[in-house]
Amino acid sequence: MSHGQQPILDPVLAPPFPQAALPMLRDSQLRKNVAHATDVIQAKRARLVAEKPDWQALRSAAARIKDEALENLGAYLEQFEEQCTARGGVVHWAADAAEARAIILGILREENASEVIKIKTMTSAEIQLNPHLDAAGVKVFETDLAEIILQLGELEPSHIVAPALHVNRSQVREIFARTMGLSDLTDDPHALTAAARHYLRRKFLEVPTAISGANFLIAETGAVAIVESEGNGRMCLTLPRTLITLAGIEKVVPRYSDLEVMLQVLARSATGERMNPYTSLWTGVTPGDGPTRFHVVLLDNGRSAIRLSERERQTLRCIRCGACMNACPVYRQTGGHAYGSIYPGPIGAILTPQLTGLKHAQSLPFASSLCGVCYEVCPVKINIPEILIDLRAQVTDQERGKAARFFDPMYLGMRVANLLFSRAWLFHAAQWKARIVLRIFTRKDGWIHSLPGIGAKWTQTRDLRGLPKQPFHSWWKQRKQASR
Amino acid sequence: MRVSLFITCYNDTLFPETGRAVVALLERLGVELDFKPRQTCCGQMHANTGFRAEAYSQAKRFVRLYQDAENVVIPSSSCVAMIRDQYAGLFEELGNEQLRSEFRSLAPRVYELSEFLIDKQGVEDVGAYFPHRVTYHASCHGLRGLNLGDRPFRLLGKVRGMELVPLANLERCCGFGGTFSVKNGDVSSAMLAVKLEDVMETGAEFCTALDNSCLMHLGGAMHRQFAGMKTMHMAEILASTEQTPVEVLG
Amino acid sequence: MSAMVAARAAILKKLGAGTGVSGGAAPSELIPRDYIRRGSLDPDARVAKMIERLREYDAEVTECTPDGLAAEIAAQLARSGRKTFVVPSRLPPEWLAAGYNWKIDGDLATEEVESCDGVLTGCFCGVADSGTIVLHHSAAQGRRLISLLPDWHLCVLRASQIVETLPEYFDRCIQIPALVTWISGPSATADIEMTRIKGVHGPRFLNVIVVKEQGPGTRD
Repeated sequence: MSHGQQPILDPVLAPPFPQAALPMLRDSQLRKNVAHATDVIQAKRARLVAEKPDWQALRSAAARIKDEALENLGAYLEQFEEQCTARGGVVHWAADAAEARAIILGILREENASEVIKIKTMTSAEIQLNPHLDAAGVKVFETDLAEIILQLGELEPSHIVAPALHVNRSQVREIFARTMGLSDLTDDPHALTAAARHYLRRKFLEVPTAISGANFLIAETGAVAIVESEGNGRMCLTLPRTLITLAGIEKVVPRYSDLEVMLQVLARSATGERMNPYTSLWTGVTPGDGPTRFHVVLLDNGRSAIRLSERERQTLRCIRCGACMNACPVYRQTGGHAYGSIYPGPIGAILTPQLTGLKHAQSLPFASSLCGVCYEVCPVKINIPEILIDLRAQVTDQERGKAARFFDPMYLGMRVANLLFSRAWLFHAAQWKARIVLRIFTRKDGWIHSLPGIGAKWTQTRDLRGLPKQPFHSWWKQRKQASR
Repeated sequence: MRVSLFITCYNDTLFPETGRAVVALLERLGVELDFKPRQTCCGQMHANTGFRAEAYSQAKRFVRLYQDAENVVIPSSSCVAMIRDQYAGLFEELGNEQLRSEFRSLAPRVYELSEFLIDKQGVEDVGAYFPHRVTYHASCHGLRGLNLGDRPFRLLGKVRGMELVPLANLERCCGFGGTFSVKNGDVSSAMLAVKLEDVMETGAEFCTALDNSCLMHLGGAMHRQFAGMKTMHMAEILASTEQTPVEVLG
Repeated sequence: MSAMVAARAAILKKLGAGTGVSGGAAPSELIPRDYIRRGSLDPDARVAKMIERLREYDAEVTECTPDGLAAEIAAQLARSGRKTFVVPSRLPPEWLAAGYNWKIDGDLATEEVESCDGVLTGCFCGVADSGTIVLHHSAAQGRRLISLLPDWHLCVLRASQIVETLPEYFDRCIQIPALVTWISGPSATADIEMTRIKGVHGPRFLNVIVVKEQGPGTRD
């Protein structure tokens, strides 16, 4: 990309959000691409929500369905396992990313698989599956158009539903022309899509092993559901001999009929459609139709810990629709890479740090102006602002005890401010003192144009009016005295 | 009608003219106004920056101070949102039952300015005269936190002589976000640039809102850029009459 | 293997689950179900909406009576200009118009299905709200493969199979199906600058024949 740096989508290694965001903000092409893409989906979503008189009722039901699943997650997972196994599926449990990778690699080794075709799944990126498969000598073929663009272009995803949203058509043309050897390729999206279709057709028909994610796991029947638009999902789910589905444990919903709610809110929120083109559901193994070997890898990787917190548990309701990041005014300016995680935007800001047990990505809960639009559009009513504030408190509590933080200007300043607010006379004295100090920075026009320290982050783009001579409380006191 | 005015820490320090305007406006409407001199801050800055214990102590102080107030009016929707959204949680976690009960009793008596005028005072036409072109910015806390709805528009619609120009992308955040404006100063500035485009596009003389926090952010950039537009809290517009036009500070 | 057993036990322990099977969990009645469950359109309006929604995503829709179905199928086949079609094993024989190369699926090789120009199937249900065709992949609807590989899908949808809302479809599932495909558009992508392109993988062309019973017709 034009800023020349490969983003690091690993919360352990990624730079803090303010630092990661800066080069993105200077990438005007990126900002334009992101604004365009999110505007399009938002407009479509808004139109469909407006036509649905029971939209709020659907949101309430969806939130409650997920809550029910989460409250009794263990029982529902056991039910799913029992049902899926009875239908010929093999269910595996992975406590963390390393275990999940080992299980998947183990299955591939058993299959003597040297190639796999993959349906887009953010969960596989969360466990960094592809690089590990590559290293183990298994060639991975992504089959989602966006994922192909990223894979061939050696780029990182920036959105959970439209991962290549930050890439425009001429960039795609360049990538395809170079890697597919198509020197005459134009940048017409039709031509680009046709190139991808052609590139994949043989792979679908020949590669015997596929890896997928899951949108929903149905406890009642042991079924798995996947929503998609292109049809590559259907290809991967039906043509190969072996299918491996990787799913976070929070993907469980209790009953088949719960999909009547979930499917209605997901498509409208994710792509602004009443229903996405293809939704597939399968249960274990069906002789004569589809894979003869089916594995489900249930992934914890920090989810069970999040579930323990009553206030934060709602994070796990997420159905990965991306509506929050489409609406987020911060994401609009920075794109997804600034979040340093496979999960960007508002949901990423609360999910990513929590998945690390708040050991990493501590800057993400602060990467928000708390405008609240994410909560407004979330189909499962996750109160993201409330969780952001709570995580800020948790991170601060973690940090403030450290010796290094005692003289950190932000920490010191906050403690001092609190002391000043505890007594009116202290507050008033501080106002008076501040006015005197700031007089140094106040120009003839009565405004401050430049401040040192943290104040410089204000004055880099904004002036600040000099402190008025008489605070309101003084004026009131004076007026009261005058009227006597 | 007796009202106790909570001016807010930043209005007291930075925008006393807004307070003066609130006083002029409410007294004109026959409200008996008082001002508790011991007031300081509602705790929002600390709460939203992760300093929960500190936010709690300020919240407690606020509740104790206003226990006996008939009504509390606050010319800042973000502060009212702090009280409504976060006080209960703070007292649940760090307070005791008595404090929680005191808060439950106080909460229904706390109003943002436009809420007070429309819901409690029952007025839309406050007798204001402001012969200028104005655009209204919907602060996020007012819009989503308090669900102010059309209250600001109903008030502005009755201001004589004023031309109200609609703002495109009205619901998009201006990028202030409290300490976000400095902790994520670059992103805040980018959001500001985008918002300012829409604001300037209106061709208004003034951009108004119910929160001076957003306005100091927008107005600070306008001033830096010699943009030719100024910001002004809605209280000052509503306080303005033919006899007493509002003071327009540099 | 024992590492996995340990992981399973550890995860379930963290989730506070017992050793019991099946969810002994909060009943479904606790979910607020204030959303629209039943449609309000009369049968004709329902069919009209289904057709409208199908056409919105560029499916070609024609209508006929039960008596005219075989002829309509023949007409659509002729208009398609295609020759080789794969079909499920239990289609009514009169649907297989003469003059075409019919491959009846039970166990066709993938390459053979890939070589077909089109596929003809029935379906389980149509959901008018979203213009969705639901396949349960029964013997009259075919294996998943056959409605996936060919480029042209001709689908027969009876008016009596059409419901208005998605919840009504679920109500119709007296037995929960093991395999389901919900089709609500031709395959599409918007991954390049949000420009919607049709026909990535999966049939690029969907034709639907809506069979409207006149008077007391037969129900499926």
